[in-house]
Amino acid sequence: MTLRAVVRSFSELCITIGVLIVLFVVYVLYWTGMRADNAADGEIERLQDQWADAPLEGGAGDEAGAGDADSGAGQGDGAGQEAGSGDEGQAGGSAATPGTPPGPRAYQDGKSFAVMYIPRFGRDWSRPVLQNTGEQTLRKGLGHYSRTAGLGQKGNFAVAGHRRTYGDPFKDFPQLRSGDPVVVTDGATWYTYTITKRPYRTLPSDTGVLNSVPSPLDKGVAPFSKPGRYLTLTTCDPEWGSSHRLIAWAHLDATQPVSAGKPDALTR
Amino acid sequence: MYGWIWRHLPGNVIVRALISLVLVAGVVFLLFQYVFPWAEPMLPFNDVTVDGAAGAAGGAEGAASAGTGIVA
Repeated sequence: MTLRAVVRSFSELCITIGVLIVLFVVYVLYWTGMRADNAADGEIERLQDQWADAPLEGGAGDEAGAGDADSGAGQGDGAGQEAGSGDEGQAGGSAATPGTPPGPRAYQDGKSFAVMYIPRFGRDWSRPVLQNTGEQTLRKGLGHYSRTAGLGQKGNFAVAGHRRTYGDPFKDFPQLRSGDPVVVTDGATWYTYTITKRPYRTLPSDTGVLNSVPSPLDKGVAPFSKPGRYLTLTTCDPEWGSSHRLIAWAHLDATQPVSAGKPDALTR
Repeated sequence: MYGWIWRHLPGNVIVRALISLVLVAGVVFLLFQYVFPWAEPMLPFNDVTVDGAAGAAGGAEGAASAGTGIVA
């Protein structure tokens, strides 16, 4: 009698655990994706409403500054950038130190402030970029490393995204190639960055890749030699693992006001 | 366990079956809403930043240290 009860309880336990595992797989594979897609769409909609309601001021001034991106970037501010390694108070957009022009709009922690388009990942691929790289933030879209430079600013605008789960934003990351455009808009300006080379695989501790002038552990792959307006994308590698990271770098190629329409990279 | 629950549900077979369905739906909802979101970050495919400490350090004093990392 008791043996019977033990065997029955054990069987029920096994079945329960099995069902739990199946449910968890469904959750990870599908549910997080659906939730993340919804959240991302919601964020983008919210941003577009916000931009429609209150057009960003200071856009013109910012463009003027960014216009020299590829040619004269970093001629004057080389020393400061190199020493500072991105700790110039742009974190959170909170402190606009004297002499540093503030970003187009102060970034609020955990809130979206831009939309990123990467045609390589699909014509309709777009994701919101949110401030900070916390767990909750990355469930809604891409996360901007708070301590790195602002969008289009001098320095390194670094963004992290999930490779798998939560909508798989960076699933096709390894397919990025030199010359691929990465277009980001903050509602006032289109920033067109260009990928410099294939993604670089590194260790999670390789934080130098986020520096104003990226300085990876493997000096040979350092993409830039002088300060400028750069973009860094990070995700995990292998696809379902976390032993390594994939890094892609880009440099700012062109900017244009939103009023001038979408950049060529998106209409091609 | 399941037999015990079944025996303690009121009503005839149809009512019991309906109550069971509601119970199952409730459990699945709790799992998806609270338990799985809590458990999922413990799996590896969630680390997308460089060094993983970035999330914690990303807030107020993001500029503080060079030790914060890359998110995967």
